Amino acid sequence: MAASSMKDIKLRMKSVESTMQITKAMELVASSKLRRAKLHAEQTRPYFTTLHQTLMDICYGNTDFSSPYVQKREVKKRCYVMIAGDRGLAGGYNANLFRAMEEHRAGADSVMLPIGKKAVEYCQRRKLPILTEDYALAEDVQMDDCAAMAKLLCQSFCKGEFDELEIVYTNFVSMLSQQPAVLKTLPLNYDRELAKEEKGLHNLTLYEPSSEAVYNAIVPEYVAGLIYGALAESVASEQGARRTAMDAASKNASEMIEDLSLHYNRARQAAITQEITEIVAGAEA
Amino acid sequence: MSTFHLQIVTPDGGFFDGEAERVSVRTIDGEAAVLGNHIPYVTALGTGEARVVVDGQTRRAAASGGMLAVTPGHVRVVATTFEWAEDIDVERAKRAKEDAEQRIQNAKDPHELQLAKARLSRAQVRLNVAKR
Repeated sequence: MAASSMKDIKLRMKSVESTMQITKAMELVASSKLRRAKLHAEQTRPYFTTLHQTLMDICYGNTDFSSPYVQKREVKKRCYVMIAGDRGLAGGYNANLFRAMEEHRAGADSVMLPIGKKAVEYCQRRKLPILTEDYALAEDVQMDDCAAMAKLLCQSFCKGEFDELEIVYTNFVSMLSQQPAVLKTLPLNYDRELAKEEKGLHNLTLYEPSSEAVYNAIVPEYVAGLIYGALAESVASEQGARRTAMDAASKNASEMIEDLSLHYNRARQAAITQEITEIVAGAEA
Repeated sequence: MSTFHLQIVTPDGGFFDGEAERVSVRTIDGEAAVLGNHIPYVTALGTGEARVVVDGQTRRAAASGGMLAVTPGHVRVVATTFEWAEDIDVERAKRAKEDAEQRIQNAKDPHELQLAKARLSRAQVRLNVAKR
């Protein structure tokens, strides 16, 4: 019995060791990718926030609602731009995002624009209507792709294919914490009461050539910028989540190995003791 | 001369954040310049040369896409691309121009042609800004 259990333990240890090698390697890859992604996210953030702030400022002062982008409609159908990862093994990164989306959606009629392989797979599995599947690889999406996406989204929005546009992404709070978030993008948010009280002066804002033309030119850029920013945050979050998950996995594996080697040594000692007992018993007889 | 706070940002990071005397850009409606104490103003940017005057020194750049927004005390240029004249890679711009010309020749549908034309004008602006 002792010999076979020793062999079993040895086998277990080997398999755990090789798993640990993989998780260690993945952790290293994720940390180096994370460094790059974090830098990129930090570079993009001023653009992201300034763009958002500027649009909000403009909207507060807006008194002309001729552009379809600022008209509030009854929400019958929503469109979700869902930014998830390309691969699994990133802890709760993808699952948390999907949960946040489902909570917001609450079963309502909606259409999806998935970015990232996991998001595409999720939509297919749930049989959710998909706007386009062209952006299956989140890591490869460039500014041009964002512009193309924004154009498509704005066109569909103006045609009335959906009444609200939300971006679901993961906010990169820190290396250790990532928060899924839903950002309402279209129609542009405005609060008339607030606009009158606080920013009364803005009502005199001059638009050239006209407010409608300006909105029509700016909004697709705005949507593209938001998607790009959200994507940078999400990619950084994915690497962060993966690094944390793989770090935990490596730690667990090394704990397991420690545990198993203790068991192995005990089994070996037990086998030796038994052998000695047997020899002594044999000699006495 | 009265100055104002100017911020220039692009998806690749911030390019300028500080006091400026004058900024001029190419909008979808033509050239426009903003001085201090401008009234609230919003316009969309086209593709063209941008000039920023700081302490009497003019800095030139190639910019395309995005918007120019003036709110009291702040001027923000939120551009899709923005490159200072000294940062422009002339070789790359030349290659981009040739590539765009090729694309215009081979364009199959109007959408492709439009994209190629936009590419060409961006490359042209970069070359023009870098030359002088």
